[in-house]
Amino acid sequence: MSSIFEPEVVEVMEHSKSGPNRIETRLSSKEKEEIDREFSHYEDKASVGLEALRIVQKHRGWVSDESLQAVSAYLNIPIAQLESVATYFQLIFRQPVGKEVIFLCKSASCWIMGCNRLQKKIEEKLQIKPGETTEDGIFTLLETPCLGDCDRAPVMMIGEEMHRNLTDSSIDEIIENKTLYHAEGSGHADQSAD
Amino acid sequence: MPTITIDGEQYQVDDDQNLLSACLAQGINLPYFCWHPAMGSVGACRQCAVVEYRDAEDQRGRLVMGCMTPVRDGGIYSVNAENAREFRGGIIEDLMTNHPHDCPVCEEGGECHLQDMTEMTGHTNRRYRGSKRTHRNQYLGPFINHEMNRCIACYRCTRFYRDYAGGDDLQPLGRNNQVYFGRQRDGMLENGFSGNLVEVCPTGVFTDKTFSEHFVRKWDLQSAPSICEHCAVGCNTAPGAREAGNGQDALLRRVVNLYNRDINGYFLCDRGRFGYDYVNSDARIKKVLAARGDEMIGSTAGAGDRVHGEVHPREGVQKFAEILAAVQRGQRRLIGIGSTRSSLENNFALRQLVGGGNFYSGLSARDLELLHLVDRVQRDDRIHSPSTPDIENADAILILGEDLDNTAPRISLAVRQAARNRQKQQAKKLKIPLWQDASVRQLRGEHSPVFFAGTEISGLADVANATLFDAPGQIALFADAIAQLIQGSDAAAMDLAADRRELAMRTADTLLAAKNPLIISGCSSRYGDLIRGAGKVATAIANRTATNCALYLACPEVNSLGLAQFFSPGRGHLEQLTQELHGKERDPLTLVVLENDLYRRADPQTVERILSCADEVILLDSLLNSTVKRADLIFPAAATAESQGSYINSNGQTQRFYAVYEGGGYIQESWRWLADAASFCEQITADLSVIAAWQHSMDLSEAVAAEFPTFEALEKVGPDEDYRIDGLKVARQGHRYSGRTAVRAKAEVAEFPPHLDPDAPMAFSMEGIQSPGATPLSANIWSPGWNSNQSIFKFQQGIGGARKGAKGPFKIRRQSQSIPDWTISAAEPEQDEEQLITLPIYRMFGSDELSASAAAIASVIEVPFALINRADAERLGVQPSQLWRLHTDGNSYSLRMHVSDTQPPGTLGVPCGLPGLEAVSSQLPGRAQLKPLPATETGETP
Repeated sequence: MSSIFEPEVVEVMEHSKSGPNRIETRLSSKEKEEIDREFSHYEDKASVGLEALRIVQKHRGWVSDESLQAVSAYLNIPIAQLESVATYFQLIFRQPVGKEVIFLCKSASCWIMGCNRLQKKIEEKLQIKPGETTEDGIFTLLETPCLGDCDRAPVMMIGEEMHRNLTDSSIDEIIENKTLYHAEGSGHADQSAD
Repeated sequence: MPTITIDGEQYQVDDDQNLLSACLAQGINLPYFCWHPAMGSVGACRQCAVVEYRDAEDQRGRLVMGCMTPVRDGGIYSVNAENAREFRGGIIEDLMTNHPHDCPVCEEGGECHLQDMTEMTGHTNRRYRGSKRTHRNQYLGPFINHEMNRCIACYRCTRFYRDYAGGDDLQPLGRNNQVYFGRQRDGMLENGFSGNLVEVCPTGVFTDKTFSEHFVRKWDLQSAPSICEHCAVGCNTAPGAREAGNGQDALLRRVVNLYNRDINGYFLCDRGRFGYDYVNSDARIKKVLAARGDEMIGSTAGAGDRVHGEVHPREGVQKFAEILAAVQRGQRRLIGIGSTRSSLENNFALRQLVGGGNFYSGLSARDLELLHLVDRVQRDDRIHSPSTPDIENADAILILGEDLDNTAPRISLAVRQAARNRQKQQAKKLKIPLWQDASVRQLRGEHSPVFFAGTEISGLADVANATLFDAPGQIALFADAIAQLIQGSDAAAMDLAADRRELAMRTADTLLAAKNPLIISGCSSRYGDLIRGAGKVATAIANRTATNCALYLACPEVNSLGLAQFFSPGRGHLEQLTQELHGKERDPLTLVVLENDLYRRADPQTVERILSCADEVILLDSLLNSTVKRADLIFPAAATAESQGSYINSNGQTQRFYAVYEGGGYIQESWRWLADAASFCEQITADLSVIAAWQHSMDLSEAVAAEFPTFEALEKVGPDEDYRIDGLKVARQGHRYSGRTAVRAKAEVAEFPPHLDPDAPMAFSMEGIQSPGATPLSANIWSPGWNSNQSIFKFQQGIGGARKGAKGPFKIRRQSQSIPDWTISAAEPEQDEEQLITLPIYRMFGSDELSASAAAIASVIEVPFALINRADAERLGVQPSQLWRLHTDGNSYSLRMHVSDTQPPGTLGVPCGLPGLEAVSSQLPGRAQLKPLPATETGETP
């Protein structure tokens, strides 16, 4: 089972592919600037690790081994320590994800209101299981614990926007809208990390 | 002392501890995983649940975690209450849902804490039928296997590796049911204490990879208390050996820690744990070898090198005896060279054979002087040599020129703990018990002050508050300045650079303000004034505070300090020997070399001069080395694990090691070869008859003690061979030792008698005393229901106390003598544009002679390299990783250049003893020229 609560650590470990020819990735000046801004909120550099990973992910969509290396070098904290943080938090992605990450709430209220049925619907529509990304690279489906909107269950979150009182038809509509949006060729996030 | 009630019984327990350790100390079996006596509690595993009652009226009580509950005077607890037992059983059942059913093929099986605890809770039937989570394992280097599926997520590994030992490449990854303990990517664990994971992990996630190569179950190992021979700290070990089963010689199969509160406690370094394999190496000498008269055609041997063939031991001993006879008749001279890596007994035997005046240390004048200096300083009553717990208690530490992680690793681990003392003080103020590990470690603030001044600092860099990198001469001046400041000299009058003066003042103030100041120095810089300087600082503190001051002086080898005691200062070094051999009308000369590779001790030319004066060279040693090539007669000497004897550690502590097993082939202790030769002599003089009469190792120990009052403790340090407990010897094999006939059944089905041990009150069999509680001679740490090394607490005087029955520590007896008021002056010659000053640096793997022949260690030794300062590199045009050639007097070496920011300018750090660099090591510190490799040679790949 590979829900978002249980990141596939196994996969995370498997990156000895990157041998001596590893491409060195550097942080962009924008990323550095944003990380530097965080320093004032923390006692020491090491504590900025999580924020730095978030910033890098915002710009690059996910945190690759090379990005991890770059953050580790920039903050001067051991890479293993940073990996420990990265693999602990479910919202840090150590594998590439789609442009739209669907967080489907699987907590009690949503369960009562039929989230399992909706999940099946999404899975069939997109032909992916939780933890997987559609072939066109647009959607990734992940399960999540309570999103705090129980009175409007079932709910899911796509990126940062909430979708409430979900029904079969609203799901169809949301997914089609997103597909259309990306088909028009305007990406949603800044994917241009140098 | 609080009194507590557990299941109706009253117990008096120590203050300031938790309920779990109180229970264990009382012999109550309470299961646990995450607690460790040296690392305290974090309450991660929930395994040690007990019921705590409010008062005598309370019948229900509540579940508490033993390890997280402070003992309360008058507290009433129950370990056996039904709900506590059920809870603990439930925890185990949960842990086991993911644990594989692989005990029969798991190397932890038979000494697995998880097995023991599972048995203890009575969880014998698995109800879980679902699938188990699985992990992929990592390659962690040549020492440690990784099998993550077995993990129960107790966090002990990272708590030891990261928190206790300061490693930063092993972390908990992921979360929930998927927690993974590993590195960010495959690769060797970088910390030099990684081997302890094997013992710290309560199950089989981390196991000893060198042991896997020749694995047997714990119960099939035969064991005895031994001493690690790979540095001078003197850690106690429990090596395990067993027959090969294929008719080959018995193998030494592994080394585990043997608890000694005063030295190693629960932990060993990786050199000590994995270095044992040299005794199984192909370079092992197992037969008597004699040089053949004829030159071998087409031989690649160099000039003067001998070609050897095997001879029967009787023939070899006969030859040796003939030489002794000639010596008796006055027709021959006999000179003996002892060794800092051989026991007192072996050295003494050789000394007796050749006579005190003909006995040499085998060390250069510089190295022997350093040992005498250490001895001289330690004789001062104002100074005391601290045990490991003393070091851990220090609240301000000054390290002078000693890269502890590579020269005395276990001491480095102790310093790392000492660095936490300020944090512990703060915890005490806040009334946080010190065993509350996570809470104490969370306290912010600076480390306790650790000042480092020297050439290189490896592992301790992260706890050092201030570092000063310079050549030893400058460090000695710096130490001298601190000593003067402590005595109240005026800082302004000192000839020191401003920043250095400021650091000296800060150091002096900090040391004076400390309750337990500690100075650490030693021989590794090969610079006498550094030891003098350290002595001056320590005595200055002692004078000011009117209590004695702790000073740890690290010696280079396992018996360095012991051997030095045989010589008065200024005598017994190789230079003196060279002088002695030259310019005299001489009789034919026989040189007997005891377990010493002279080519590591002096430059090749000096060794050549010595060897060329000898008409015969007789060598007793365990491994083939450069000196072997020049020997005429070679006797196979027993390694530490195969013999009995005594070593003196850096602290002046006398310790005895016992034979774990009998060496293969014709291996025996060096002194036995000497005694054999003496008894083969036809005309036996009184002196020789004494030697010929030695039967037991203890005969020698007693003789040493009688001749040298310094070593009087040798008679007390352990019982003699006649000692018995209830009429029995101590068994080296456990109750469950299996297959003692089957192991040889291919050739012979009859029960064979065990080897006899003439030296120790111990048997090479299962027969005899088995209990580690009855005597510290038992190294098989095992208690019913406690098959892993965790059982050591059963044999301690209180948790973390001394081993039951342990005596000592036995220090060597030395006449007390105040150190003189040494003047330390800048003796460094002017810098030379052409030449660089070469300084010795050390590596945990490679600098030690014997462990470098252990297969796993040999695989990670760096290629010959040198550290160069960045500015020098730029000046000379040195690129990182480039090969350059180092020219010393008459010799040259190819070195891969590493550019360093801390290597003092104008100097070159050259690793001492590294294979390929043995010969240059004796000339460090010195001068040398660095030249680019000719273009034809640079094509070489690393």
